[in-house]
Amino acid sequence: MSAEKLELTERLELIAKMMAEGRRSTRQWGWTFVLWGVAYLVATAWSTWGRSAWAWPVTMVAAAVLSGVIATRITRGHPKTIFGRAIGPVWIAMGSALMIVLICLAVSGRYNANVFVAIIGTMVGTAHATSAMILKWKAQFLCAAVWIAAAVAACFGSEKVAGIAFLGATFLGQIVFGIYAMIIESREQRRQGAANA
Amino acid sequence: MPEMPELNPVIHGKLRLALLSLLSGVDEAEFTWLRERTGSTDGNLGAQLMKLEEAGYVAMKKRFVLRKPQTLYRMTEKGRAALTEYVSALKELLGNAVISG
Repeated sequence: MSAEKLELTERLELIAKMMAEGRRSTRQWGWTFVLWGVAYLVATAWSTWGRSAWAWPVTMVAAAVLSGVIATRITRGHPKTIFGRAIGPVWIAMGSALMIVLICLAVSGRYNANVFVAIIGTMVGTAHATSAMILKWKAQFLCAAVWIAAAVAACFGSEKVAGIAFLGATFLGQIVFGIYAMIIESREQRRQGAANA
Repeated sequence: MPEMPELNPVIHGKLRLALLSLLSGVDEAEFTWLRERTGSTDGNLGAQLMKLEEAGYVAMKKRFVLRKPQTLYRMTEKGRAALTEYVSALKELLGNAVISG
């Protein structure tokens, strides 16, 4: 390749790299997946062994408040990206709708493990799928598939199957995926630090 | 022989190109964020941003947050159009073979 073409190719690569910053910024949110995954597990354990109707509403409200506080601190000084503006509302709308429905299920006493897992699986799976399509991120597509598979399993399986599907989806689709996103982000940060040095 | 497109000299500088590309993906960005992302020095960054501002590709505003001054930059419509045009010209110059590779 001639020196001129090489230089032009470098320019194109520079544009792609800088534009990818917007996509990268969304990976800063890996911690939220881990936090909500842990919150699901805490609420499940509390409702199973503590047998409290308030286990889910209390845990979810606590997780929402904690997410808000941490997010405010993390995003200080960071610009709003176009990707973030597209994806953020999807998760906020999903979370709000899910919280209202789950609180209603808990308060009305019409709690049914299969319906519960089917609702969570569908909504979280849809949010993951939307994010994955916007970001063109294969790992998040897998998360969406895991959550939707859990919802389908809850539709056809027994209560025990629904419970196992939910725990599996929480572990893989929230905790493992969140840790993976955090690892990628910290690797990118190190790479950028080395490039800027 | 078809005429080859010319690359916009204001955008062609590496740091200015990086800045415009960065600003294309955000609403507005602080000077410190741009410095962190590009690894540039304050002086050089300020000079290049001023050139982009003079060309009408970026707009600058200052504000105070908790009594600390903040300088924010955003890409203008003119800047977005110029970057799009630059990328098209670059692709045309490189040819489809290199782009798809």
